[in-house]
Parts: sequence; structure tokens; C-alpha cells
Amino acid sequence: MKKSVRVVMARLGLDAHWRGSIVVAHALRDAGMEVIYIGNQMPEEIVETAIEEDADVIGLSSLSGNHMILAPEVVRLLKERGMGETRVVLGGTVPPDDIPRLKEVGIAGVFGPGSSLKEIIQFISSAKVT
Amino acid sequence: MRSKRNLFNTDSIDKIRKKGEKWQRQVYPTEKQRQEVFKTLSGIPIEPIYTPLHLVEMDYLEDLGFPGEEPFVRGVHPTMYRGRTWTHRQLAGFGPPEETNKRYKFLLKQGAMGINGVFDYPTLRGYDSTDPEAYADVGRGGVAIDTVEDMRILFDGIPLDRVSSSLVTCQPIGNISVQSMYFANAQAQAVPFSELRGTSQNDFLMETAVAIAPEVFPPRASFKFSCDAIEYCTKHVPRWNPVSFAGYNYREAGCTAVQEVAFVLANAIACSEELIKRGLEVDRFAPRLSFFLSGHSDFFEEIAKYRAARRTWYKVMKERFGAKDPRSLALRFHVQTAGVALTAQQPLNNIARAAYHALSAVLGGAQSVHIDAYDEALCTPTELSSLTALRTQQVLQLETRVTHTIDPLGGSYFVESLTNQLEEKIVALLDDVEATGGIVKAVEKGWVHKEISSAAYEYQKAIESGEMQIVGVNCYKIEDEKLPVELFRVPETLEVQRAKLERIKKERHSKEVQKALDALLRCCEKDGNLMEVVVEGVKAHVTEGEITKVLKGYYGTWNPPLF
Repeated sequence: MKKSVRVVMARLGLDAHWRGSIVVAHALRDAGMEVIYIGNQMPEEIVETAIEEDADVIGLSSLSGNHMILAPEVVRLLKERGMGETRVVLGGTVPPDDIPRLKEVGIAGVFGPGSSLKEIIQFISSAKVT
Repeated sequence: MRSKRNLFNTDSIDKIRKKGEKWQRQVYPTEKQRQEVFKTLSGIPIEPIYTPLHLVEMDYLEDLGFPGEEPFVRGVHPTMYRGRTWTHRQLAGFGPPEETNKRYKFLLKQGAMGINGVFDYPTLRGYDSTDPEAYADVGRGGVAIDTVEDMRILFDGIPLDRVSSSLVTCQPIGNISVQSMYFANAQAQAVPFSELRGTSQNDFLMETAVAIAPEVFPPRASFKFSCDAIEYCTKHVPRWNPVSFAGYNYREAGCTAVQEVAFVLANAIACSEELIKRGLEVDRFAPRLSFFLSGHSDFFEEIAKYRAARRTWYKVMKERFGAKDPRSLALRFHVQTAGVALTAQQPLNNIARAAYHALSAVLGGAQSVHIDAYDEALCTPTELSSLTALRTQQVLQLETRVTHTIDPLGGSYFVESLTNQLEEKIVALLDDVEATGGIVKAVEKGWVHKEISSAAYEYQKAIESGEMQIVGVNCYKIEDEKLPVELFRVPETLEVQRAKLERIKKERHSKEVQKALDALLRCCEKDGNLMEVVVEGVKAHVTEGEITKVLKGYYGTWNPPLF
């Protein structure tokens, strides 16, 4: 039997916005994924939780503008811990100009305002094919 | 009690009913409807036409009255915008205080009527810029404040006795320090407390149920911080609004119009009970309780919401608390246009959206308004987008003539009917909160969190299914759109703040700092009013982070139900 996709979801840093991440968390759970929602965390704790929870995907949310500092840091720490295959997905108010740089450092997908839940679910559920 | 005096006589009503039924049966169905059902954004069914039949029970004097008089449905002031228009209060804040000070001055020069200062995430949550959790968020979403010196720089050259300042200190933990720094700075500028006018947000739901994060202050502690500030201002800063119950933010987090109003009122009820318990007369503090509501997309529902909120608050204050001062009975509110309704796609469309949102606020009798800038779904507003938002206020005020009569939609069969329906639903939800044990208990139990997150999910599902259409997002899309706006970049902040903090920590008297922090701890232990000691403490250049550390040490932390 195919194991369901495990997603650790976090809000980056001290960003106060909550709605996007919680709505996506609901949608992923309704789509049959296992969601571990840890709220605001710094990159170290996010990666730590992802290792403990054996996550396939890390979902990050940021609307504060801190994404260019903290999202790449999550990817870097994952690689350092030998978890480079874990996909990191980012959602929030990400100016389109930032997307190429984020992709370059290894963020697998970026979902800005107005993204549909369907797209996000499709993208994340394709994280695990075995 | 006198019996109801209905607006329409029985004979007229009978005739209208007969004619109306015939119309509904024979005339209306001859043409096709676009949709099977029409509903407000909060789900109230909307009928094809509203007539006196919807207001059969209405007693004009009892249910509507006149502006500035009970039950304040038609407005809180006798002259409303014929006397003074709403305050144009545009949000501003980013980077270090040196930069935000320039934006404040720019907006004031362009005709803004007051300051609406927003703070960065570390400041809102009680951290110093140099705390390890803060580095990526310093200067983002607002201005960075660490010490009273930053407050001096922020308001440099702005006369505190003449300009009113709204401090968007949404979380009580951040408010304790920031508000104290504002007051301490005013004293240093020789402006007496009696001259200070302004508002702090100071809403404990913002700390525990809306902008939730792990390891926040327990709801009881956060609620205490909030009430301490209200009590302090009531006693010492009489023209300051020490709380602005932040329904706007509840709405942004996912609430419906009904939840937004019910939760702010539940919060205000809890604060009132606590302050009365502390020995204050209701009419001493209630005139300064203020509200912050959203201006969302459903034009008529929003107008009805503001009117229903006024009537419900009036009844609560009168019947439950026995308030007598008309200022206690009148609900005054600031509106911000709904950020959540803005789109990153085709961002200039947001100018039109926000103008409609603001129009509903004005037709609903708001005391002050902020209009969102068109680029807010993408970044912090640029100078151009901020100016466009301010100009939208000015066009609305000066060109449309909607200000020339009071409550122009009063008497509309539809708006009055919707006002009644919203009031009923708000009261029912208030009863649910009461049954849960009041708002503080409802937060502790995670009940509020569940209410908000379910509503947010339902809203998104409606967009997803296409039932709710958003121009540029799920209809009228432009593929591979080129962004027509310049994006704002936050100026370097962390190093600026770090340099100041290092200098201040070297220059300040460490004995005085220790004395202030000890006094704070002792105040916690004897359950005193924390504001009394923090206002003094910040004068010794105690930092916000140092204050938070003492409070966290004493009150501990709480993990809200996250999901």
C-alpha cells in the first residue's frame, strides 16, 4: 500500500499571518496527506521536526518578506543533514522577481497569492511516487 | 415600557403584501435568474426585492433613532460628516524608525489627518531586533522599535499634542512596551499626558487566537496585559483610546462578518467585566473603548454590519452594564479595507476594490479609515501606492458628496432588513461565546481558533469552486502577466538597530536598568498594574526584549491549538 505523503508545515520566523498556511494544511489533510503543523519556527527547528517526522515535504509560509533569508536557510540545513531529497515548498506574498533565485537555491515550488488549492495539492502529492 | 410604534399601518401593509405576493408568483418568474440563490458573503440569503413587509416590526424611534442619540444606529455624532469627516489615517511603517519618520511626514504633508503606525513582527511580539528569533523579520511589516530612543526618532518633528497617533500594537505584550515608550517620549518632550490623543490596538485575541504562534503568553496573562493598559490610560491618559478591538484582523484571519463583530464585542464585554472588577465605574472607561473593523467586499452587508454593531453594543452597554454616558453607549470604529480581498494579479485593480470597501465604511458611519495600497498583496506599499490610497480617501470625501447627509442608506428596506438579521446572528454567536464560558475561556479551549480556521477554509473553497468570483484570480485572468508596479524593498534595518542598541546599552546606567527590571518582577508578583512600572522603566532605556523576558519568566508560555 502506498504510504501517504507526510508534510511538515511551518510559518517562517516571526511572521504573524496565519490564514494561508492553515487553509493549505486543511486542504492537504482533506486530500489524504499527513500534516504536521508546527506554526512559527526558525529554520533549525523546522529541519529538526522534518527529520523526526520523516517528512517528504516541508511547506513554508511567509507573508512578512523574510522568505529570502529563511527559506534558503531551510534548504541549506536539509542538505547539511543529508535530507536533500526532502522537497521544500513556499507559499505567501513572494514577489515574482524573487522566484528565480528561490528556485536556484533549491525551493521546489513557490505559490504566491491567488494560487489554487488544487495546484498546491497536485504539486505536493507528486512528491512521493513510491 | 411603551408598545411598538410600527412605521406602516396595517391597511397599507395588507395591500403591499397582496400585491407583493402576486408579483413574486406571476411577474418575477417570467424572466430567468442568473443564479438559483443569492447570498451575502457571510451566507445570509438575499431576496429579489425588499419592501415595507420586511420592516413590519420596525419602530423608528426605538430601532433607529437620530444620529448622536440612542440607539446610535444612524451615527455616533449628531452632525456626522456634515460636521467633521472621517480621519484619513493611512498605515505606515517599515525599516528603522529613521525611515518611517520620513514616510509619516510625507503622508502628513499630503493631507493625512493622523498617524497610523505599524510595527515590525519582532516589535509586535515583544522581541528586540537583535534577539536570535528576530533577524529575518526586523523592519518587515512595520517599523523596528527597541527602546524609547527609537520612539523619539520615530516621532521626531511631529507635534505629539496636535497629531493623534494610532499605534498598531496588536499584541498586548508588544503594546506594554511600545505604548509605554510613546508615553515616556511624550513626557521627555514636555507634552502632558492630558494632551495626548491616540489609540493602541492592544487586543489579547491577537496574541492568542489570531496571529497564533507556539509559546505565546497564556490567554489569562495576555488578557491581563490588555486590561492593565486600559486601566492605566483611564487613570492617567484620559484622551487615549487604550484598546481597539481588532475585528479587522479576526476577519483577515478568516472570520465572517458575523464572527468579526461577535468576537470583538465578546472581547469588549470581558474587558469591561474585568475593569469593573478592578473597581472602575463603567462610564469612566467605556467611552474610550474603540473598535477596528474590516471593510470587505460585500458592500451592503458591510454597511449593515457597522450599523448592527452599533445597535448591539448600545444594548450590551445599556442593559448589561447599565452605562449612562452616551459616549459609553456609542460604538466608535476605525475601518481598514480588506487586505485579504486584494489580489497580486493585476494589482492596479485593487485601487477600485479598496475604493468600494472604503465607500461601504463611510456609508456605515466610520470614524476613521485606512485604504489599502494597491501593491499590498505583493510588498510593503511604495510611496506612490500609499499616496494613491490617500488620494482615494480625498476623492471620496471631496468629490462624491456622500458626506452631505447622515446615514444615507438608513430606511433602505434591504439595508435595514440586513441590519436586523446581522444583529440577530451576532447576538446568537455572543450567546455561544457566553455558553463556552466567555471569550478568555473560549480561547483557552481552542473554540475560537476552530471557528476562525473553519471559516477561512470555507471561504477558500468557495473561491476554488468558482462560487466566489475574484477578478484576475479565478476569472478574467491574464496569462504571463507582466507586473505593472514597482516593488518596495525594505531598507537595511538590523544593522541600524544593532548599532543603536549597542551604543545605548553602553551608555545607560546598568543599576537603573536592573532596578527597573526588579520593579517589574515585583509588580508581577503582587499582581499590580504592569503599565505603571513599564512607563517608568523604559525611561532608563530598558529594551522591549528585556521587559518581555521578565514577563515570560513570570507568566510562562502557552501553546495554542495550532491545527
